[in-house]
Amino acid sequence: MDMSQYKALFLSESREYLRTIAEQVVALEQSPGERSAVDALFRGAHSLKGMAASMEYGDVVVVAHSMEDLMARVRDGALPFDAGVADLLLEGVDLIDVLLDDVEQERPSTLPTGDYAQRLALYTPAAAKAAAVDQAEPRGAAADAVPSPAADAPAPPAEAEKAKEPVGEAGGTVRVKTELLDHLINLTGELVTNKQRLLNIGRELASPALNDAVSETAKLLRALHDEVMKVRLMPFEAISDRFQRSVRSVAKKSGKEIHFELTGREIGLDRGMLEQLVDPLNHILRNAVDHGIEESGEREQAGKPARGTVWLAVSRDRDRIQITVRDDGRGMEPKAMIEAAIAKGLLTPEEGELLSPRQALMLSCIPGFSTAKEVTDISGRGVGMDAVNAAIQKLGGTLGIESEPGLGTTITLRLPLTIAIIHALVVQIGQVKAAIPVNAVQRTVELSRRQIETMGKRQMFQLDDEAIPLLSLNRVLGLPLGRFPDGILPLFVTEARGRRVGIVVDRLLGQHELFVKQLGRPLSKMAGVAGGATLGDGEIVAILDLAGLL
Amino acid sequence: MTAERLLLFSAARQQFALNLQEVCEVMEPQQCYPFAGAPPHYLGLINFHGNLTALVDLAGYLRLPGRPLPGKILVIDTRLAHLALKVDAVGSILDAGSITGASSHDDPLTEALLETPQGSVRLLRLATLLDGLEQELQESAPNNAKPGGT
Repeated sequence: MDMSQYKALFLSESREYLRTIAEQVVALEQSPGERSAVDALFRGAHSLKGMAASMEYGDVVVVAHSMEDLMARVRDGALPFDAGVADLLLEGVDLIDVLLDDVEQERPSTLPTGDYAQRLALYTPAAAKAAAVDQAEPRGAAADAVPSPAADAPAPPAEAEKAKEPVGEAGGTVRVKTELLDHLINLTGELVTNKQRLLNIGRELASPALNDAVSETAKLLRALHDEVMKVRLMPFEAISDRFQRSVRSVAKKSGKEIHFELTGREIGLDRGMLEQLVDPLNHILRNAVDHGIEESGEREQAGKPARGTVWLAVSRDRDRIQITVRDDGRGMEPKAMIEAAIAKGLLTPEEGELLSPRQALMLSCIPGFSTAKEVTDISGRGVGMDAVNAAIQKLGGTLGIESEPGLGTTITLRLPLTIAIIHALVVQIGQVKAAIPVNAVQRTVELSRRQIETMGKRQMFQLDDEAIPLLSLNRVLGLPLGRFPDGILPLFVTEARGRRVGIVVDRLLGQHELFVKQLGRPLSKMAGVAGGATLGDGEIVAILDLAGLL
Repeated sequence: MTAERLLLFSAARQQFALNLQEVCEVMEPQQCYPFAGAPPHYLGLINFHGNLTALVDLAGYLRLPGRPLPGKILVIDTRLAHLALKVDAVGSILDAGSITGASSHDDPLTEALLETPQGSVRLLRLATLLDGLEQELQESAPNNAKPGGT
């Protein structure tokens, strides 16, 4: 694996560890009994070793490992933390710092680590005293027998001193706290909101000069926003390792032969998005192995290779991320899905007849739906496809299922690059305005009353030769129902529980670019609300999470 | 009771107190935007330094008869919640040393009934208030609306 892309991060983190180790060593000299500092030193050396090992920087590993061992002896009480130990640890810090410079400059190690490891392994307080005496006297035979740190480390004084100074950041890379990034994004979002205000004022004043200035500012803001968002991007690889382990584990438990392929691991996704994708993707992958891929014998009988394949592919198209999980398993049969939903009382036979094959596949996202012959403890884990779908919608994404019986299933997640700024349809419902992410809106319609048909207790209308039920958003939210004196009902079409539904509102107020703010306690517990945003005129609207509401 | 200083305020003709550390600002009433789907004592959302903050009428939440006063807004520390309480008036800041007596109260929302130079005061337990507000929102969630009604 090409690890060069992580070099800057490794250098930055390693230098931070070195700085901490050096500080801890000095602090411990002041109060050697400080147990937590001893533990922290041990952990610092251990972490440094681990990072260097994963980057395959052998010399750094050797030095850090020796430091870790020495600290283990201190921690276990075999060795007191004395000046000799401190000297050796600081020598190690200096050695590693020079080695890191070599890594940064992409040159071979200029500093032999010599017998540093051996000296640490053999270190005893008495030897340290002897070494101290030797250093105080002119060099002689004794000094040659026990090389002092100074004799063993040919680093020029400037290099050694450098380690004691505040360590700079590596290669133009700066590590910052996530909350600082969040604050930066918050400010950028506020600017986007303010731009909308300026646009509104510009329209009112009809000033070409102001409009030009706002238009230019809008372009700059878009660029600023893109750059700020990039700061939060992390490669998909940050979470992909666990999927490989997960697929391997399910395959082993179910006794199936699986080949797992992952592409697009380098694609950058918003850090917040990545965290929230772990569970849904894990579920989809485990489902693919547990329910999608057939046993080897069954596959061979169907003329397939005994070993099934699961693909996980990540790609980016401008401001959208697409994640696809594909398997070459038995696939799903739309008819069987409809029959199962009817049997479970989730659909009436009449409703089942109206479903297209695509809609039938989406039935798997209805709560309580499962076509698995038996529930296993492998892919279940209490998370159903309904939860997966809800999680993806909450991220402002969509989930699509395609399947070919006998050939396999493809589940596609389409996600925005960021969850911070979204395009939303703002609607009026009673005295309240609310926003619906446009990814959840298939289209908007203005319906005349004569287009509404009553079927049983339900009111429907025809769209693309499909009967679509109507639902009032006012009613869902407990608001007074709209009156529509001109006989025209504004609505938007969305998908809920696997089928299209027309959501009637009082007015469609248009599309806005909104900076999403999370609602803290207590409103964060409210179902059907994904957050809030400020419109250009300062008005606050709730952003509805239709999956949670309908 | 460990609070060193308390903020005294009134709502529905009763005296209340909150630990001063739990309140980050007292504000004049400001523009509030209604929020659909929440119980009626949620007056809406206000913008508090960029944080979208739920404004709750304390008297309404406590099922006490409210007073038609413009009142004041107590903004709870944003590290604890994004919540502001609409109250009738804000009194003084009381040093814990001024409390002359304290007794327990049946209401779990009340940490203690304090005797102060300003009279009897209910010290609110903020954690319980937040838990109660959250529980109420979870219970008022729209339950599986059926298509059909326009």
